[in-house]
Amino acid sequence: MGALHLGLLALGLVSVLLSGYAVWRDRPLEWRFALPAAVAPVGAPVLERVFDYKASEGVAHAPAIVVEEGGARIVWFEGSAEAQPDVDIHSVALTLGPEGWQAGESAAYFTRDELGAAMEPRQLVVTLGNVVENEARQASVFATVVSVGGWAMASVADVQMGEGGPVSARKLNLSPFLNRSHLVKSPMVVYADGSHALPAYFEMGGTHGTLVRFGAEGRVRDTRRITGPGKMIQPMIVPLDEARAVAFLRDFDRSDRLWISRTQDGGQSWSVAEKTGMANPSAPVAAVGLGDGRILMAANDVEGAGDLRLLTSEDEGATWKVVTVLEPDTAGARYPMLRRVGEQFLLTYSHDTKRGIRAVVFNAAWVAAQ
Amino acid sequence: MSGILANIALGIVLAWVVFALAGWVVAPWVAVGLGAVVALAVVAVARDTLMPGGLVAVLAPFGAMLPALALRHMGGGLGLPVVPFGTFEIVVFLGLYVAFLAASMGVFPVDPYRLGYAPVPVGVMVLAICLYGALTGNPFLPLVAVLGQVAWVMGWGSSNWFDYVLHVMMVPVAVIVLVQRALGG
Repeated sequence: MGALHLGLLALGLVSVLLSGYAVWRDRPLEWRFALPAAVAPVGAPVLERVFDYKASEGVAHAPAIVVEEGGARIVWFEGSAEAQPDVDIHSVALTLGPEGWQAGESAAYFTRDELGAAMEPRQLVVTLGNVVENEARQASVFATVVSVGGWAMASVADVQMGEGGPVSARKLNLSPFLNRSHLVKSPMVVYADGSHALPAYFEMGGTHGTLVRFGAEGRVRDTRRITGPGKMIQPMIVPLDEARAVAFLRDFDRSDRLWISRTQDGGQSWSVAEKTGMANPSAPVAAVGLGDGRILMAANDVEGAGDLRLLTSEDEGATWKVVTVLEPDTAGARYPMLRRVGEQFLLTYSHDTKRGIRAVVFNAAWVAAQ
Repeated sequence: MSGILANIALGIVLAWVVFALAGWVVAPWVAVGLGAVVALAVVAVARDTLMPGGLVAVLAPFGAMLPALALRHMGGGLGLPVVPFGTFEIVVFLGLYVAFLAASMGVFPVDPYRLGYAPVPVGVMVLAICLYGALTGNPFLPLVAVLGQVAWVMGWGSSNWFDYVLHVMMVPVAVIVLVQRALGG
């Protein structure tokens, strides 16, 4: 045996030791969903508009909800136009006090330059897009980041916020093609062990949804695809029980229908997406599970951007009943984000065709009363 | 740590580009020297300017393979002993890698990239590469595979091992090498 083979044997032994350590350190992923408590319509009906904002110029779009102590924060991207190199992330704090919900002053949450400087490694950030809360860590968000090209060249950055802006950030490793092209839109999914998964979507070529699982250190540990015959993007996942969930998908190809995929093994595999009977103008939807197979959804009607409607399903998304029309077609309301905040629901969306942000709070009693 | 390693990788790749360009008109050792000077200047002095920031944004994660190929090429230019890859090896690699990229981007229903997140598949792949190195008598690939595994296990960069041993820039590099060989270069 020559020196070369001895060296290679040594490399093999090092690899075996590393693998042993990696296997020992690795924790198997939990594939049982956590289910939120069922929502009952108790108390007086509540519906209140808590925030109404219009950008002085340009766009303000794709609001997300970051749940904070004593309230929530609405976070959106704002600039001269979508995907332009002057788009930054803005936010407003909503606090729930004795006098009800109060909105603070909207201001920049973080800028492209701040994010680029906080990135590990430091790098250029040209524009920013959709943001969602990283529910696995306090004061953290996932941001859609573009450094070259358009949305198809986007990456997802895990951003830790501090008092004055982002303190650290790193891109999730989701693709072997220069770590492109993933984006986020929908809130995370919670598992029974307290871990979280991020619904993302791949927007280059074979467009599909992706469920991103994280290891103990918050690094990507696994991904699972959610595919369909069309261009399935922006999966909105609603767990139904520990093993089953539905993912509502927007078809980027304008089939004018909302699509649905199902899992029966906690998200490890997803059925090929099928058309639902619900009209959809290639727009994302927002939804939350209410327990016992009930789902509450905010979605657009099919004509143009359409009305923004609130709907409920009593049969796990098979059929839907329109609760109310929240915004008429003329309001240009799009990109809803719906989260539970305590005993209430917080719904936010852009209006005036991406030029402003609104947020409303309502409770289950108000939904039941419609 | 990933920031430091990315800066080192950026410097090596920049030096390689300068070496490749300058190598047309000056001696290899001069080209390597020029590359080193430019890389040091950019990484140490101008790291926060537009060009290196953009290169990191576009090319990171650099991984281990791309810098290793750059060092290998420059080392060869300086006369260090380098075991060349066979033409057949490069052709097979190119075909497999393009298929891997296509599958990972959803062209095929399987997603091989996700194997790179899991310790057991990564361990098996690294050992297979070590075995391949032993059979071909070339230690380069095993060395890069194990270095990539070290960085992957330590969390010094990507959470996917494939990002350490593969890089999209290897596609044009492989094509250029094949064209040069076809032209008798």
